[in-house]
Amino acid sequence: MAEGAANMVILAQNDNVGIALRDIATGSLARTVAGTALEARQAIPQGHKIALVDIEPGALILRLGVPVGIAKATIPQGRLVHVHNIASRYLNNDEDHYE
Amino acid sequence: MNSLDHPLDGAPMRGYLRQDGRKGIRNYMVVAYLVECAHHVARKIASPYEDDGVQLIGFPGCYPSDYANRVMTDLCTHPNVGAVLLISLGCEEFQRKKLKEAIEASGRPVELLTIQGSGGTTGTTHIGRVWVEAQLVALKAATTVPFALSDLVVGTKCGGSDGLSGVTINPAVGHAVDLMVDAGATVMFEETCELIGCEEHMVGRAVSPELGHALREAIRKADTYYRDLGHGSFGGGNIKYGLSTLEEKSLGAYAKSGSRPISGMLKPGIRPPHPGLYLMDTVNDGPVRYGIPNINDTQTITEMVASGCHLIIFTTGAGSVVGQALSPVIKGVSNSRVFQRMEGDMDVNGGTIADGIETVEDVGRHVVEAVITAASGTPTKSEALGHQEFVLSYKTYEPLGPGCLPV
Repeated sequence: MAEGAANMVILAQNDNVGIALRDIATGSLARTVAGTALEARQAIPQGHKIALVDIEPGALILRLGVPVGIAKATIPQGRLVHVHNIASRYLNNDEDHYE
Repeated sequence: MNSLDHPLDGAPMRGYLRQDGRKGIRNYMVVAYLVECAHHVARKIASPYEDDGVQLIGFPGCYPSDYANRVMTDLCTHPNVGAVLLISLGCEEFQRKKLKEAIEASGRPVELLTIQGSGGTTGTTHIGRVWVEAQLVALKAATTVPFALSDLVVGTKCGGSDGLSGVTINPAVGHAVDLMVDAGATVMFEETCELIGCEEHMVGRAVSPELGHALREAIRKADTYYRDLGHGSFGGGNIKYGLSTLEEKSLGAYAKSGSRPISGMLKPGIRPPHPGLYLMDTVNDGPVRYGIPNINDTQTITEMVASGCHLIIFTTGAGSVVGQALSPVIKGVSNSRVFQRMEGDMDVNGGTIADGIETVEDVGRHVVEAVITAASGTPTKSEALGHQEFVLSYKTYEPLGPGCLPV
């Protein structure tokens, strides 16, 4: 893949997370086709979410404009957003689900 | 074919005009067994003519079912069907004469054979094949009329989704749905149990407050039903691929519905009254009964076909291969790895979005092109490979509530 090609997608305008289209390494740029870019402060595997802004505890995680969970802790911009720092509003999604 | 260079309605689609005014994109003959005991004989009758458009469907149960009666009637009078051969054992409870009368009333040739009254397996197979061969001559000679996107009813479905489904092929299908709805087509999406968490967003898209209420209640019903059943729909594999919550998983499936207003909610067999976008309520009404509402992807597809779908757009990440007996299935895959491994089964590759080669909109246009190609008579991959999956089992539904189909 060419240097600087898009490796992230933001599904709706007001989303606070982006989705990694490929594995994004710590310290590298996550960028969309439209040119939105930020530094990944930790590794973001393909299909996983990256915080586009600093997210406060209790804030809704917005993907495609739809809430997909609530922040359990402060999630700084560029960090991985996953089961360790967000909770479902419907059912428990703790580590018991890991294979 | 580049559908964006000319109006979508300019496509060279042809259809078979039926007595009720609907048009089919295929002229299939259906051989239908009315209980599992007649399945083998029905298969023996149909199998020599698989490549001639003879399709096998049926209901395995012996006990009466209003739901199965309704779905079988809707399928046997589906616009893609030109003639029907019913195979009964003879002692099952299925209301076979009522079904035959409904098919006759629809203007289609129909024959009903009971195995017990037609010389058992050998006699019934012989009589059945003679009838099929005679009908095939007429079906193949049938003339067609112009078919527009506004004649088309399409269903969307996903199965074996992965971490990229919700960012590549499903949003691409959503874009295709927007294009088709804008062109006057009718589209339905499904699986209320896989839309838990999306209900408030859906309510905001409903064309009336009453419909919004009905959509919210349908998702609540699914949530309650699955809790009572003891089945969760979120687990290890989802987390491994980056999905963090049940509602995030739902959102991946929901992306297939695009962004247009939701015009109504359907139950299996109920047809959309006018073009637009509809939700199919796939969960039983009432308490948990007969187990899991839809035991696999194919049962959900059966229900959308019963509600009139000519075609199904099916998205997959892991690599599903299913087709459908009456409505061709277009397969879209979320990633290039599986596309390369199973290219013979996949009509559209959404993996190019993750590869940075194409956009969601590009792939959405490919999906529309695949729909137009299939509706023009070219077999889809699964259709050409002879897939004709079919499942129908017991369910219970109440009549559609008020507000579900706003005028």
